[in-house]
Amino acid sequence: MKIKNLLVANRGEIAVRIMRTASAMGIVTWAVKTSREPGAWYLSHADKVIDLSEDFEDIPIFLDVEKLIEIMRKNKIDAVHPGYGFLAESPFFAERCEQNHIIFIGPSPDSIYKMGNKTIAKQLARKHNVPLLQGSIGNVMTHSEAREVAGMIGYPVILKAAAGGGGRGMRVVEKEGEMEKMFRMAGSEAEKAFNDPSLFIEKYVRNPRHIEFQILGDKKGNIIHLGERECSIQRKHQKLIEESPSPALTESMRVKMGEAAVNIARSVDYYSAGTVEFLLDDRNNFYFMEMNTRIQVEHPVTEMVTGLDLIEWQIRIAMGEELILKQEDVNFNGWAFEFRINAEDVQAGFSPSLGIIEKISYPRSKNIRIDTGVKQGSVITPYYDSMIAKLIVHGENREKAIVLSSNALKKLWIKGLKTTIPFCRSVLANKNFRNGKFDTSFLQKEMKIYYHEDPEEEMLAAFFAAYDYALNLKSEDEMQVNFEKGKAITPWLLNKRLRSL
Amino acid sequence: MDKFIVCGSGKKKFEVIQPLLEKPKVKGKKLDLCIVQEPDGFNYIIWKRKKYQVDILEKNQNKYTIMINGVWYSFTVETPISYKRRKYLAKTASSSKIERVSAPMPGKIIDIMVEENSEIRQGDPVVILEAMKMQNEILSHVNGRIKKINIKTNDSVMKDDVILEIERG
Repeated sequence: MKIKNLLVANRGEIAVRIMRTASAMGIVTWAVKTSREPGAWYLSHADKVIDLSEDFEDIPIFLDVEKLIEIMRKNKIDAVHPGYGFLAESPFFAERCEQNHIIFIGPSPDSIYKMGNKTIAKQLARKHNVPLLQGSIGNVMTHSEAREVAGMIGYPVILKAAAGGGGRGMRVVEKEGEMEKMFRMAGSEAEKAFNDPSLFIEKYVRNPRHIEFQILGDKKGNIIHLGERECSIQRKHQKLIEESPSPALTESMRVKMGEAAVNIARSVDYYSAGTVEFLLDDRNNFYFMEMNTRIQVEHPVTEMVTGLDLIEWQIRIAMGEELILKQEDVNFNGWAFEFRINAEDVQAGFSPSLGIIEKISYPRSKNIRIDTGVKQGSVITPYYDSMIAKLIVHGENREKAIVLSSNALKKLWIKGLKTTIPFCRSVLANKNFRNGKFDTSFLQKEMKIYYHEDPEEEMLAAFFAAYDYALNLKSEDEMQVNFEKGKAITPWLLNKRLRSL
Repeated sequence: MDKFIVCGSGKKKFEVIQPLLEKPKVKGKKLDLCIVQEPDGFNYIIWKRKKYQVDILEKNQNKYTIMINGVWYSFTVETPISYKRRKYLAKTASSSKIERVSAPMPGKIIDIMVEENSEIRQGDPVVILEAMKMQNEILSHVNGRIKKINIKTNDSVMKDDVILEIERG
C-alpha cells in the first residue's frame, strides 16, 4: 500500500508542512490553485498543481467532497491529506475516500464520527472511567430547556456547539438572565461555522488550564501518547502560545492523564495522529473535553521535544505500517514553545490587520523552526485565518527556552502589517508566565495592555515622525532646484551622515 | 524650521530640535543615534547599541502612525506656530453631544439590538459584528439615545465605519 501520489487538500503553512515531509519520503505532491489565492506560496512546494483558479464556486474547493474525489480519480492520485480545518474532521469525506479506494491520511470515518459527536465521545469516556464535567445528556434544543439543565447543574455553565471546535459556537453563561441571548448567539455561530446549530451544556470550570495529549496509533491496535501540550494562553478560546511539556504537570499526573488519553483513543480503535483535550482545575483535577481527530496547528512543539515527525508517522500509518515505537521508547528532550504570529492589531482588540507583507525576515538558529505559508509580497486576505507564521523555539529547559524565544522574537521583523509579535513579547516578560503560574484567564487577569510598551521606544518613534516631517519639508525646497537639473533626490540619499556611526 | 512639537496620545508631547542634524535634541536631551536603511528594506534606529525596527505605517500631512519594534504610536507633528493654533482651537471647540460608535474591525453585521430613538445605557450591546468567523458584541460607551443607525443586518463594514450615532443623555 505504498502511496505514490498525494493530494494536499489544504492551503497555507500546513500545506507547506505536509508537502515537505511527503517529498522527503519520495511521494509526488499535488496542490490545488484557487481563485482566492492564485499566487499563494504553498503552490511552489508542490510537484504538481491542479489549476482551479478560474472556478468561482460558492463552496471553496477544500470543502467540496465530490469535486476533490473527482480530481483524485481523474489524476490517479492514491492518497489525500486534509491538514487541519476544512474536511479534516469530516467522516463523510473519509468514507467517500474509502469507497473510491483513496487513502485518507487520518483516522477511520467511524473514529471521526464518534469523537466528532460530543455526546457519543462523552459516553465513551464515561464507559472508560475518564473523568468528565457535569452537563446535559445530549443536545439541548431550546433556551428554556437550556435554562432547566443549567438550573440543575448550577451556573456558570458553558454552551458549546455539538459539532464544534476552535472556540466557535461557544458561550459562557454566568446567570439565568443571559441564557436566551447567549443561546441565540452560540447557535447562530455554530450554524455558520459547522452547518449545525446543535448545542450542549456543561458546567463551566472557571480559569482552568487547557492541556492536551498527542496520540499516535496504528491500524493494528498499538496506541501511544507523545506527552502533553500546554495551551492555556488563549484569547476568546483561540490559542496564541503553546508549549510542551506543561509546567503544571508532575510525572505522576502525566502518566495518569496519558493513560486516560490512550484509553479514550482505544475506545474508538483510533489510528493516525490525534489529540485528547483536558481541562485541569486549580486542584489538579482533570476532565476530558474532546478529542481532535486531526493534526493540530501546535503539533510542532511535540515534534521538537520528541524528535518525531508526526506527518511522517501519519503517512506511514496510513500505508499500513506498524507503529514500532512503544510508550517506553518515547523520550522527551528539553522544552519547546510555539508563538502564533498573526496579522492582528493587538493595540486595537486583536482586529485583523489585512494587507501585503512588504518584507519579512526571520531569526535563524538550530533551535528555531519557522512554519509559514507566506513570503514577501504575500497578501493576508479576509478569506482565511490571519496566521502569518509559527515561530517554534526549543531550549534545554523552560528558562532557557524563554530566553531564546525572547531573543528570537526581537529578530523577527515584519513590514507592512501589524502583528501579534508585541503581544508575544509582553507575555514572555510577565513574571507569572515565566514562573509557569498561569491558566486560561491569563490575558484577562495578568495583562492590562496586550503589548510591550516602552517609553524609550515611544520617544524614538516621536523623533522618527519629526525626522520624516522635517525631511519632507527640506526635500520640497530642494526638489525645485533638482527638477531643473532633471533629477530628483530621494530622502534617504540626503542622509549619508547617518551611516557615520 | 528646526523645532517641532510631536503630539502623542493623551497629552503626551515631545519637543524635537534639529531632527536632521547629527545628535538631535528630544525633550531637551541630545540623542546620539543613527538611522539606517538596510539593503533588506527595513529601517532601523540604532541607539545605545540597540537596534529598533522603525516604519511609517500611515502618513497624512502632519499625522503619522509610526511602528517601532511592532508597536504603533500615533502622532501629529507641529511647528511652534501650528502648535499654538492647535491649542487655541482645542480650547474653543465645544465638546460634542454626539457619540459615534464605529466598527473596531472589518466584518459583517449579524444583528442590530437597538432601534432609532431607543434609550441606551453604557455597556449595552448595540450590534453583533462577525469577523474572522467570530461574533463580537459592540457595546455603547455612553448613556443616551440612539440618534441614527447607518447600517442594516448583513451589511459588511470596514474598520472605523460609523455604525450608529448616540446622543449623550
